[in-house]
Amino acid sequence: MPQTTIYVAPRFPGTLGTTPLAVATVELARLFGRSAALAGVSVNVEVGRTVALLGPNGAGKTTLLRLCATAIRPSFGSLAIDGLDALRHPEQIRGRVAYLSHATGHYDDLSAAENLRFAATMFGWGAAEGAAVCDEALAGVGLDPVAQDRVGTFSAGMRKRLALARMLVARPSLVLLDEPHAALDDEGMALVDQLLGQWHEAGVTVLVASHQAERVARMADGAIRLDGGLVAEVTGAGVSLGSSVPTLTPQVAATGMDR
Amino acid sequence: MKTRVLGFAGLAAVTAAAIYGLFVVPADLNQGDAQRIMYVHVASAWLAYASFGVTALAGIGYLWKRDLRFDAVALAGAEVGVMFTAFAIWGGMMWGRPVWGVYWQWEDPRLTTTALLLALYVGYLLLRRLTDDPARRASRAAVVGLIAAVDIPIVHFSVIWWRGLHQGPTIGDPGKILNPSAPLLFVAALMAMVAAFTLVWVYLMIRRYQLARVDWQIEEHGRLGRITAARRAGMAPAATTAGNEEPAS
Amino acid sequence: MRELRRAAAVALAIARKDATAELRGRQAAGSTLFFAALVLLLFGFALGPDSRRLTDAAPGLLWLAIVFGGLLTVSRLHQLEADDGALEQLALYPVDRRAVYAGKALAGAAAMLVLGGLLLPVVAILYAIPIGAAWLPLLAAVLLGAIGFAAVGTAYAGLTVRLRAREVMLPLLMLPIVAPLLLAAVKATGAALTGDPLGELGSWLQLLAAFDVIMLVVGAGTYGFLLEE
Repeated sequence: MPQTTIYVAPRFPGTLGTTPLAVATVELARLFGRSAALAGVSVNVEVGRTVALLGPNGAGKTTLLRLCATAIRPSFGSLAIDGLDALRHPEQIRGRVAYLSHATGHYDDLSAAENLRFAATMFGWGAAEGAAVCDEALAGVGLDPVAQDRVGTFSAGMRKRLALARMLVARPSLVLLDEPHAALDDEGMALVDQLLGQWHEAGVTVLVASHQAERVARMADGAIRLDGGLVAEVTGAGVSLGSSVPTLTPQVAATGMDR
Repeated sequence: MKTRVLGFAGLAAVTAAAIYGLFVVPADLNQGDAQRIMYVHVASAWLAYASFGVTALAGIGYLWKRDLRFDAVALAGAEVGVMFTAFAIWGGMMWGRPVWGVYWQWEDPRLTTTALLLALYVGYLLLRRLTDDPARRASRAAVVGLIAAVDIPIVHFSVIWWRGLHQGPTIGDPGKILNPSAPLLFVAALMAMVAAFTLVWVYLMIRRYQLARVDWQIEEHGRLGRITAARRAGMAPAATTAGNEEPAS
Repeated sequence: MRELRRAAAVALAIARKDATAELRGRQAAGSTLFFAALVLLLFGFALGPDSRRLTDAAPGLLWLAIVFGGLLTVSRLHQLEADDGALEQLALYPVDRRAVYAGKALAGAAAMLVLGGLLLPVVAILYAIPIGAAWLPLLAAVLLGAIGFAAVGTAYAGLTVRLRAREVMLPLLMLPIVAPLLLAAVKATGAALTGDPLGELGSWLQLLAAFDVIMLVVGAGTYGFLLEE
């Protein structure tokens, strides 16, 4: 496992402990049909911190991550990333956030290198630098031997590594990881740990949801434990409970009918 | 209360216009009594198109403001509109049988355009049924409503050109009704029916919108209930260890 | 200006990616072409064996086959995003979503141009159509028709990719919208094949072009809303 330093510095760097907060939510809620995946979460996460998202299945970890990634809109409440309101400036947020979801989101008919080059173009890399960054990222995650192979032939672990490589290409200031250790072998998990360490060093804010509480807790500054769509507990440094509004007022985002 | 008055007014107006059109105005020399269907058919068709315009504009309103009240208006327009469209087509066919000899005439641009309008409406309503999440449903419906509304003028021109080279039957052109050289009484009967139908249309739109609002409020209360239930059932958040805020309620 | 160049780069990258995927997944694209040709063959059984009747109907049958093949094509182009959850990633890139639309519509139009172009000789053979000198206006009609269909198809495929009953909803929503496109394309094709006796070819091509422009504008404007969840 090559111990090269992967270039992880964010394009929009913040300073540890300064405002605006990397993530600030107020009574953030999201409904899917009849069930409340998130039922009112108010947390603050400082810039540069690594925060673990813990909790059982269905607690709302994935939903919270997806909301922060602006992949979905809130049903109620508000969310601000780096001080940018998620409803008003989603495009700006997307430029600074990278999200690793359960589905790896690759194109099976393209090679690993082609997938990554495409992502690099999407992130705004030019042709020459993009190629260099992609090569570096592929090497960093240990995929350079298979860079020209079709992703359709990849195992789940390899697909995850490619997704991690894509995050490196993005150079985010906020990293959202949903079960990064899943489907990885020991080497892969060590890679994730290494990345977590490097992101922390580079001042990148990291939110990582994981079942492997102890493993992640070792690397994290703080932790948020969710249960049933609500915050059960907030521990550690750099993360705190946000201000909560006494009455739940629906955002215009989803309603307008109470008038 | 005002809406109810409107409803009764509309009903009265339609009855009056119907009596006028059926019994008072003389029959057409060429088409006979069948021509009387035109008063209802044309009025229906105009309001069908107007409804579609409402749906499209309300959809744009939703995409712009994200206010679901716009979506309720769009839904009202679509449902009321599909009614008027179906009625217009039926009227057209009923008129066509005695006048053309057939129920359907491909060379009549209005009939074919209205048929496509019906297809677009039905697609719109089916799409709404298949989406559960209100916000996503409103977005998708707005896009479909907009694209369909933009398509209608194109359809209109294309079917008119389509017919252009075939000299279709000039007797039995529904457009003749609006010919200024037609007797004033015919035009008056038509305008009366259009006005009456418009009253009914407004009434139906208001009622359907109100229904949609109530539906939404019920659903919203259900959703809010889920949230407050979840909050009560969930564990009370403990205080943080690296001291900051006070514990949340 | 720089934004325009960036948008163009994004659109081209997406189109190139789709084209690569189409070419590599050769079975799917080829199957669609074969299916469309099969449809043309079947029309022969349905409407034949009178060759005169088939020759007269040829423009309409050609375009019906293109429409059926086109539905499969635009659906497939979005399916390749849905397979591994790539659509979510696509929605999260810091790019102008109109550029994403442009890229996918470009890929769709190119695929349909190939489809239509390859069906022309099939029609020529099956229905005894002398293409000869008319190949240029015919190609123009196919090109404009492909662009228009892809413009609408990209938007609607994006809409239906996560929708229930997707297989029936895409055609159900699309077919009424492309009715004028079908009408105009058939008229243009017919005019081209008969030497344009009434001088209407230009008008029909213009109608197609107008359809294309309008649908591209509306599609680009609304695609962003469809990518959100």
